[in-house]
Amino acid sequence: MSEARFIIGIDVGGTFTDLLAYDEAAQRLYSAKVPSLPGAQWKGVLDALAELQIEFSTIRAFVHGTTIATNALLERKGARAALVTTKGFRDALEIGKGRRLTGGLFDTTWRRPPPLVPRDRRHEIDERVAADGQVLTIAEPAEIERLAATLRAQNVEAVAVAFVNSYRNDDNERAVTQTLQRLLGRVPVTPSAALIPERGEFERTSTAVLNAYLTPVMVAYLDKLSGEMAARGVRAPINIMGSNGGAMTLEKAAERCAGTFLSGPVGGVVGAVDVSRGADERDLVTFDMGGTSTDVALVQNLSPRMSHDNQIDAYPLRMPQLDIHTIGAGGGSIVWVGPDKTLRIGPQSAGAVPGPACYGRGGTEPTISDANLLLGRLSPMRPLAGGLVLDATAAQTAFAGLARALGVDDTVALAQAAIAVAVAKMAGAVREVSVHRGFDPRDFTLVCFGGAGPMHGFLVAEELGMQRVLIPRYPGHLSALGQMMADLRRDFVKAWGGRLSELSIAALKTETDALRNQGAAALAEDGIPPTRHVHEFALDMRYAGQSFTLPIAWSPAEKGFGPLRQAFDARHEETFGYADRTNEAEIVNIRLVSIGEVAKPALAFRSQAQVTPTGERRAVWFASWYETTVYARADLPTGYRFAGPAIVEETGGTTIVPPGWTVQVHDSGALVGRFEGSRRQP
Amino acid sequence: MNEIGRLELIRESLVAVVNEMRANVIRSSYSSIIYEGHDFSCGLTTADGRLVAQGDADNPIHIFAVPYSTVELLKVFGSDIHEGDIFLQNDPYTGGTHLNDVLMLYPVFHAGKLAMFAATRCHWGDVGGMTPGSLSGRVTEIYQEGLRIVPTRICERGRMNEAYLTLLFDNMRIRDERRGDFNTMLGASRKAAQHIERLFGRFGGSAFLDAIEELIARSEKVMRERIAEIPDGTYHAETYLDSNGHSPDPLAVRLALTVAGNRLIADFTGSSPQTKGPTNVGPAMALNAVASLVKSYLDPQTPVNHGSFNPIEVINPAGSFLNATLPAPCGGMVECRAVMIAAVCIALGRALPEKLIGDLKGGANHVYISGPRPGRGQDESRIFLLYEYPAGGTGATSRADGNHVVRAYPEGDFNVVQAAEIAEMQCPVRVEHYGIREDSGGDGEWRGGCGMRRDIRVLAEGASLSVLADHAIIPPFGVAGGHSGATNRFVVVRRGEVIQPSPIPGKVGGFKLEVGDIVRLESSGGGGWGDPLRRDPDHVARDVFLGVVSSERARTIYGVVLAGDGSFDAAATHRERERLRASRVAIPVAHAATDDLEGPRRCLQLSPAQAARIGVGDGDLVEVVSARGASALRCWARLAEEKGASGRPEPLALGPIGHATLGTAAGDLVEVRRLGARLS
Repeated sequence: MSEARFIIGIDVGGTFTDLLAYDEAAQRLYSAKVPSLPGAQWKGVLDALAELQIEFSTIRAFVHGTTIATNALLERKGARAALVTTKGFRDALEIGKGRRLTGGLFDTTWRRPPPLVPRDRRHEIDERVAADGQVLTIAEPAEIERLAATLRAQNVEAVAVAFVNSYRNDDNERAVTQTLQRLLGRVPVTPSAALIPERGEFERTSTAVLNAYLTPVMVAYLDKLSGEMAARGVRAPINIMGSNGGAMTLEKAAERCAGTFLSGPVGGVVGAVDVSRGADERDLVTFDMGGTSTDVALVQNLSPRMSHDNQIDAYPLRMPQLDIHTIGAGGGSIVWVGPDKTLRIGPQSAGAVPGPACYGRGGTEPTISDANLLLGRLSPMRPLAGGLVLDATAAQTAFAGLARALGVDDTVALAQAAIAVAVAKMAGAVREVSVHRGFDPRDFTLVCFGGAGPMHGFLVAEELGMQRVLIPRYPGHLSALGQMMADLRRDFVKAWGGRLSELSIAALKTETDALRNQGAAALAEDGIPPTRHVHEFALDMRYAGQSFTLPIAWSPAEKGFGPLRQAFDARHEETFGYADRTNEAEIVNIRLVSIGEVAKPALAFRSQAQVTPTGERRAVWFASWYETTVYARADLPTGYRFAGPAIVEETGGTTIVPPGWTVQVHDSGALVGRFEGSRRQP
Repeated sequence: MNEIGRLELIRESLVAVVNEMRANVIRSSYSSIIYEGHDFSCGLTTADGRLVAQGDADNPIHIFAVPYSTVELLKVFGSDIHEGDIFLQNDPYTGGTHLNDVLMLYPVFHAGKLAMFAATRCHWGDVGGMTPGSLSGRVTEIYQEGLRIVPTRICERGRMNEAYLTLLFDNMRIRDERRGDFNTMLGASRKAAQHIERLFGRFGGSAFLDAIEELIARSEKVMRERIAEIPDGTYHAETYLDSNGHSPDPLAVRLALTVAGNRLIADFTGSSPQTKGPTNVGPAMALNAVASLVKSYLDPQTPVNHGSFNPIEVINPAGSFLNATLPAPCGGMVECRAVMIAAVCIALGRALPEKLIGDLKGGANHVYISGPRPGRGQDESRIFLLYEYPAGGTGATSRADGNHVVRAYPEGDFNVVQAAEIAEMQCPVRVEHYGIREDSGGDGEWRGGCGMRRDIRVLAEGASLSVLADHAIIPPFGVAGGHSGATNRFVVVRRGEVIQPSPIPGKVGGFKLEVGDIVRLESSGGGGWGDPLRRDPDHVARDVFLGVVSSERARTIYGVVLAGDGSFDAAATHRERERLRASRVAIPVAHAATDDLEGPRRCLQLSPAQAARIGVGDGDLVEVVSARGASALRCWARLAEEKGASGRPEPLALGPIGHATLGTAAGDLVEVRRLGARLS
C-alpha cells in the first residue's frame, strides 16, 4: 500500500472546480481545473482528482471550499424548515425590529423579501427565561409532543429552535431541542444559543433559521461526497473551509452550515495572506475574480478583517466570518444592452457551460473574456487549462451582435468599453471594503488572483489610485492553495465581564483557562495534538453605558488591566474619534480563537529560470494598439524587471500589465507591480 | 478617468462619509435609543447650508431640516465661524425638528476657509421637561418639552463651553447618557471631518467643491425634468390629524399643489391654526415633507442633495400648526410631517394615479415607559426609559400589497422596537407578545400591510406611560377606492381588563402604571388600494391561511367564501361579491358654491335616511369615494332635516374643492362609507 502523502485543496467555484495536490514526499505541486457541475459539486471534486490520477488511498489531508450553502440560499432551494419560538414571538423572524434591511428609502414599491420560514410553519411554545437567566416557565412535555406531531404533519425537513434570553440560559432551548430531536428522528433541529450565544433574539433566530434551512442540503452533499470518497478508499478526514477563515470537520460543517457561506472565497483570502507574507506585503486588498463573481476583502497587517454582524441576502447572520464583499461580475459575465441603451455587465454569466462565445461550446452571448480576446489580451494561439483553444471569430461575432444592438460599428472600442464598465464595478467592490470601512485603498496592495483577477487587477488598481499590485504564483489556483493551507479553527465566545475596577485578573484567568480547555478539547476531538494548538484571546470591551464593543487582544499572561485599558482607549479614539478616559471601561465577552495547526506544504515557488527571457510580441489594445511583449511565467527569473505594456501567461491565468507599471519577480515567485507612470487623479 | 466617473466617485465618497458617521454613532453610543433604536441621522451641507448628502439609512425627517438650521446658524454667526468651532441646535422655530433631536453642526475647513458642515442629529432620550423622555401628548407649551437650544456655539476655537454643557446635562434626565450622546456625536463629526479633509486632498479643493455643485445641479435637472412631465394644474388634498391632545377637534392640512412647468408650488394656506398641544411644527418641516414625497414619487433613484429641493416652493403662513411660533410645543413633529406627506401623496396622486400608495401609520408612535430603576435608591439618574416607536403596515400600491410592520418609504431605516433581550435587561419589563396585528391592513384589491401588536408587562413600581401618536382616531386612508387601515391603539391591560390611558386616544401623558400592567401597543395597518371585491380570491385565501386576515373578514369585506380545505368556493364567492356590491350606498353629488367647512372639519349633509343606511349619526366620520378620486374625501356627517319624501336619493352637496379633490362633477355617483367601525 502506498503511503499517504498528498495534501489536497479543493475550491468549487461557480464556473470551475480547482484542485491542488501537494506531494509531500516528492515536494511537488499538481493542479487540475474542471468545470463545476451545478447540483453535483461532489462530482467535480472526483473529476478533478481523477484528472490528476492520484490514488485515493495516498491522500493524507483534504480541505474543501464549497458553495453549497450559498447557492441553496440564493436560489431559495433550502429545506422546508420550521421555527419554534417563545410564546408571543412567532412573527419576530418576519418583522425583525421593523427595519427594511434592503434599502427602500423613497421607494414606494419596496417589498420585504419573504422570510425563510413562512408564518404557518412558525410555532410558539409556552416557555420563558428572564433576562437574568432565571427560568420562569418550562415547556410542558405534552405541548412539545403536540408540536412534534404538527411538525410531522407539515412534512418539515428541518427545525430551528430560538427562545428569548437563551443566550443567557439555554436550558429550555436545549430541552425542547432534545425532545424534538428524539421525536422527529432524522429531521435536524438547530438550537440558536448553541450555534451563537449572543444577545439579540432577532439576529440569533435569523441565524438559527438560516442554519436549519440549509442543513439538509449540506448534509445531503457531505454524505454524498464522503460516501463517494470512502468508496474509493480515501481514509483521510474531509475538512470543510469555514467562513471564519479556518477549516472544520465534516461533522461540524453539517451542524454549523450557516458558518460556511464564505467557504469558497475565504480560501482565496487565506492563500493571499500566505503568499503576501512570503512577498513581504502586510496590508492587502484581495481581489479574486472568477468566471461568475468577484470577491474582495481587506487584510490589515496580514490579518483579514472579521465581521460578526453580517447579513446574507436579506437575513441577519451572526456567525463570525471574514469581511468579504462579493459582486456578481466575473470573466464569464455577459455583456448586454440595457433598456436605456447603456452597456451592462452581468450578473448573468455564461458559466463553464456553454461558457463565453470564444470557448466555441455553443455560447453566443458576448462576455468579458470575449472582450479580452478581441483586445489581444487573451491569445487565440495559446490553449487554456484543459486544452481549450479560444475562437476569436466567435468572440468577434458575439460583439458584432452587441454593436448592432447599440448602433455602433467599432467592436474593439466596444470591447474596451465593456471592460471599463466591469473594472468600474470591481473598483466599487474594493471601495466597499476599504473606503466604506474607513480605509484608503491607496495604502494597500491589491493581490489579484482567480481565473480573471490578474487580467483586470492592474486596471482596477489604476481606477483606485493604488500603487502596488501583487500577482501570486498559480493565481488561478490560489483559493485551492488557501484551502490546502488552512488550519482548523474554532471560535468561542463567553459572555463574562463587568467594570475593570470590579474585576480581578485571577477571575479572568480562571475564565480564560476554562475557555482554553474547551478549545483544546474541541481541537483534540478533531484529531489535533496539543503541541499544535494555538489559542488567541480577545476581550470585547466598551465604556460603561455603551452597547457595542471593540475587540482588544488579550494575553492571559498579563498581570494587570493597565495596558488593556490603554489599548482600548487608543482603539476607541482611532475608531470613533474620541476616548472617554474618565469613564469606566468594561469587559463584555471573552472571545477565543482556537487554531489547530495542520501540516502545510512548505511551498517554495522560487523561479528556476536563469536566462533573460525574450518573450514573444503581439498587438494588444491599451487605448491604442501596442506591440506588447508576452512572457511565459516560468521563463521569468527571480529579480527580473520589466515594464508594461506586457503580458505574462501561465496555466490558469494571464497577467495584463498596462503601460505605466513596472513589474519585478519577487524571491517568492510573486509578481510585484508598481505604478511608476505620471501621477493620476484617482 | 472621465468626468462622469469622477463625479460618481465623489458622490459615492460623500455618501460613504455619511454612512460611516452613521456606523460610528451606532457603535459608540451610550443610549439604547441610538444603538437599538437608530433614532438619529447624519448629513453633509455646503458652507452656505445646502444639503450635499445623507446616508442610505438616515431619516429624511432629520436631514431635510438641516439646511434650514444651517442657514439660521449662518444668520447668527455669519463670517464669525472658525476652525475648532462646534455648534448645537434643537430649536424648532429656527429649523429644528423637536427638542429631543439635537443637531451638532461641525464646520469643516479647507485652506483656511469654511468649506462644509458635517451634521449629526440625534434623538436624545431626554432633554428635560414635563415627563421622562420629554415627549408627551399632553403638553401645552414648548417649555414642557425640555430645553431649547437656539443656534449656539458650544465650542469656540477648540475650547469647549463646559459651563453651557453642564447646564444642559444637569437639566436633563440620565445626565451621563446625555454626555455620552454628545461625545458620540462629537467623535463621529471629527472622523467625518478627517475624511472630508482627505477627500479635499485627493480630489483637490476647488475640483471637489465644483463637483459638489455639479452634483447638486444634476439632481435639480433630473427633478425639473420629472416635474415638467406632470400635467400643469392645481391639485387639492385634505388630510387630518386626530387632535392636539387636549381638544376633540381634528387639525386639517389643506393643500393646493400647483404644477407650473418645471416648478412645484405647495400652498398650505388654510390649514388649521397652531395649537397648544404638541401637534405643531416649525418652519423647516413643510419643505421637508413635500420634498420627501416628491422625491419618492418622481426621482427615488438619484442620491439626495439640495438640487432635488430647488424646484419646490412652499407657501406656508406663520401661525398655522404647520409653521408654528413660540410657545407652541412641537413634540409631535413626525405626526405633522406625516399628514403633510399624506396630503402631497393624494394631490400628486391625482396627477400621477399610477404612483398612488395607501396611507401610513400617521407619525412616529412615540411610546415611553419609564420609572425608577428598582433597587437603585432615589438617584434621579437611575430611572429607566424604554422608548419605542412601533412601525405600522405600509400602504398598498396598484401592483402589490403593503408590507407588514416595517419602516415606510419616507422614513430612515431605523429599528422601531428594541430587542426584547435588551429591553428586559435595561428596564424592569417583560415583552410578552410581539407579532403581526391580524386584520389591521387596509382592505383593497391590493391589501395594506398589517401593523404590529406588542405587549410589554411592567414589573416594577412607579412606572408611567407617555404616548404621542396620531391616527388613533382617524385611520390611515386607502387609495383608488381601497379601504383604511386600522387605527393605532395604545391601551393598558390591568388584571385582564382593558383601560384607556387617556381621554384622547394616542395622546397619553404620564399615565401611572401598576406592577403587572401590560402596555399593549397596536399600530396601524397601511391603506389599501382598489376595491376589495376585486382582490384575487387566492390571495385572500392565502391571507386567511397565514392568519393575517380572518375568515370572517374575508367574507364580509372581500366576499370570499372559503372551503374547508383552505381554498375558496368559487360559486359562493361570486354570489357573495354580487350581493356586497349591490348593498353599497351610491349617491349622486350636486354642486355647492362653497365648501362646507366648520373649523377644521369638512361636513357632509346627509338626510336621516341616508345616514341610517350608511349607519352613521350626526358628527360621525365618513368618507366619500369616487371611482375617479385618488383618495376618499373624509367628512363629518351632519344630519339634515327630513325633506319631502320624494323617494329619490337626495344628492350630496360638495363645494368646488371637494369636487376637485374627488374628481367629480355634479350628477356623478359616489359611495359613502362609515369610518370608525375599526376603532374597537
